[in-house]
Amino acid sequence: MARDPKSPETKLSHTAAMILQALDAGFVYGFSIMEMTGLPSGTVYPAMRRLEGDDLIRSHWEKQSIADAEQRPPRKYYKLTPAGKITLEASRRRYPLLERLIPSAISGLVSSKEARSV
Amino acid sequence: MRSPLAWRLFHRTLLLGASLLVPGSQRAEWIREWRGELWHVRQSCLLPNSADRRSQSEVTAFCLGAFQDALCLRRAGRPDQPFFTGMRGTPQLCLLMMAAILASTYTIALLLPGVRAERNLRPQKVNPNLVLIRDQGTNNRAVPTISPSEFHSWEVRKQQYFDALAFYQVRQRMVGPVSPARARDNAVWGVAHASSNLFTLLGLPIWFTDAGTNASSDTPQLILSERVWKNEFGADPHVTGTLLHLGHQTGRIAGVAADDALGLPGRIDAWLLDPDAPDHEAGPGFVVAHLTPDGVAQMWGSCVSIAANGPDGSEYDLLGVSLDDCRPSTMSIYLFGLLLALLSLPAITSVSLGEYSVNPQKTSWIGRLQRWSLLAAKAALLAPIVYFISLELAYGCTRFRGESAICLQLASCFTLCLFGMGWILKDQRQRCPVCLRRVAHPAQVGQASRTFLDWNGTEMMCMGGHTLLHVPSLPTSWFGTQRWLYLDTSWGFLFAGSTRPTP
Repeated sequence: MARDPKSPETKLSHTAAMILQALDAGFVYGFSIMEMTGLPSGTVYPAMRRLEGDDLIRSHWEKQSIADAEQRPPRKYYKLTPAGKITLEASRRRYPLLERLIPSAISGLVSSKEARSV
Repeated sequence: MRSPLAWRLFHRTLLLGASLLVPGSQRAEWIREWRGELWHVRQSCLLPNSADRRSQSEVTAFCLGAFQDALCLRRAGRPDQPFFTGMRGTPQLCLLMMAAILASTYTIALLLPGVRAERNLRPQKVNPNLVLIRDQGTNNRAVPTISPSEFHSWEVRKQQYFDALAFYQVRQRMVGPVSPARARDNAVWGVAHASSNLFTLLGLPIWFTDAGTNASSDTPQLILSERVWKNEFGADPHVTGTLLHLGHQTGRIAGVAADDALGLPGRIDAWLLDPDAPDHEAGPGFVVAHLTPDGVAQMWGSCVSIAANGPDGSEYDLLGVSLDDCRPSTMSIYLFGLLLALLSLPAITSVSLGEYSVNPQKTSWIGRLQRWSLLAAKAALLAPIVYFISLELAYGCTRFRGESAICLQLASCFTLCLFGMGWILKDQRQRCPVCLRRVAHPAQVGQASRTFLDWNGTEMMCMGGHTLLHVPSLPTSWFGTQRWLYLDTSWGFLFAGSTRPTP
C-alpha cells in the first residue's frame, strides 16, 4: 500500500522514527546516525533511502572545497523535509520514548557542530 | 591480513562488489557516498596504520551493510511485478511453474541425441521368432562367424530348427555419386552386402520404396540407413532411384530404413540387396534365421542352441540369439519405478491430506472439487516431468548403455517419483482449503519440552485471511494431525492490505 508522506497520520516503524529523530537532533549523515542509534549500516542506509523516497528527508552533497580543505572525501548530508517534520511529530506521539533516546541537549550540540561543517 | 593496506583494499573491494548490485544510473553517487562514509568510519574506529583485527572487523561489518543498501536500491529501481506478486502462493503459479519445467524437460529430451536414438529404436519391431545365428564358441555378438559356404549348405538342405535364412557381410566401401552428384565425394560407408530377402525376412518397413521400379531394374537395390539419408541427402524424400558407386559395384537407392532399428550387429550405413550374395571370397558374415515351431520349442530365454550340418556333413553347435527386443521399454521401466515409489511413499511422508478429507464444513463441494483437481493436476504434470528427466539421465550420456542405462532410469524414476509425490502431498497439505493459496509466515509456538502438557508446533497463516494452520511438532493422541482454524470476518482488519481472493 502506497504511503502518503504528507499525511501526519503516516505510521513509521520504530527504526524509521529513530532515524528521523536523530536527523532532527542534528546527526545529519549515515555514520553519525549509526553511532547515535546503535543500528547497523545495513539497516540505517536502506531506511534512509526509503525515507528519502517518501520525501520525508532530503540529501545534499557537501561542498568539495570544504572536504578538500579538511583533506577528506566529501560526504552526503541529510535533513528533514517539512513533511518529515510533521511525520516525526506524529511518531513522537506514537513512540513517547523517542525523545528520551535522543535527548534534545545533544540535539543542539550536534546541530551547531554540523552546521559549521556544511 | 596483517597489513592495514590489505584491509583497506579488502574494504574497498567489498564496496566495489556491492556497487555492482546498484542500478547503473545510481552507482557512481552510491559508491561516492559509501567511500566517504568509509573514510569517516576508519577515522573513528582505527588508529592510524592499525591492523587491529577487532577494529578492522567493525569496519568490515560496516562495509557488509553496503550489500543490503545496494539490494534495497536494486529492488526500488526494479519495475513493479504485480503479476507475479499477486500470483505468489497461488495454485495457478504452482501449475504454471510445473508446466514450464515440463516444457523444458521435454525440449531437452528432444535435443539430446541419446534420448532421440532410444525413442527411434523402440517402435521398430522385427518379425517374431527371428534369431541371429553365430558360432557357439564366440561370445562377441559383433564378430561374424558364419562362412558363406555354411550358409549355402543350410539353404539347400531342409533344416529342423529354421525355415528361412538371410545372410549379410559388412564391408567398408568408398561411395561416390554416379549422377546426379548428391552424395559426398569419397565418403566411406559401412555397406552390408545382404541377401535380397533380408528385409522381407525381418519384416521391417522400407520408406519411399517403389515396388514397380525395383522389379524392373537389374541394378542391386541399396537401402539407406536413416542416419545417412538425413546426413548425406538432407532427408530428401525423392532420393530413390539415385545411382551410387559402392567400390566396384553400382547400387540404386531403393528406399530408407529406420536407423539402427534392426538391432543387427555391425555399423551399417546402407544395405546392398544383392541376389548373388553372399560372396564366397568375402569371409564370414552374419545369418538371420526364422525358427520353425521345433526351433521355438527349444528356445531358452532369448537363446536357442542349434545343431547344424556343415558343408562336409559334420554336425556342430550354433547359438541362435533372438532378435526380439528383450529389453524392457522405457515406459515399462518408468511405470515400475512409479509403482515402487508409490509403495515406498508412506515411509518418507504422511499420505494423509490433513483435515481435507474429514472436515468438509465451511467449504462447498466446488471448493473440494477444486482441491482434488489441483492435486490431480500436480500429479499429472509430475508424471511426464519424471519420465523425461529419467530418460535424460539414463540416455542423455552416451557412456551409459544397455543394463546400466536401464538401472539408471529405474533409480532416477524411483527417486524422482518418491520425492516428487512427497512434495505434492506436503504442498497440498499447506494450501488453504478456501482459496488454495499456500499458507505463509510459519511461527513456532510452544515449547518442545512441554509436548505432553501443552500444544507445540508451527502455525501458518493464509495470506488471504481465510485460515490458520496448526501443525503439531510431535503428533499426540489429542493432536495427531494438522488442523485448520477458519477465521471469521472479525479478523478482516489484519488483512486489509492484502488481496482476499474469493473462494
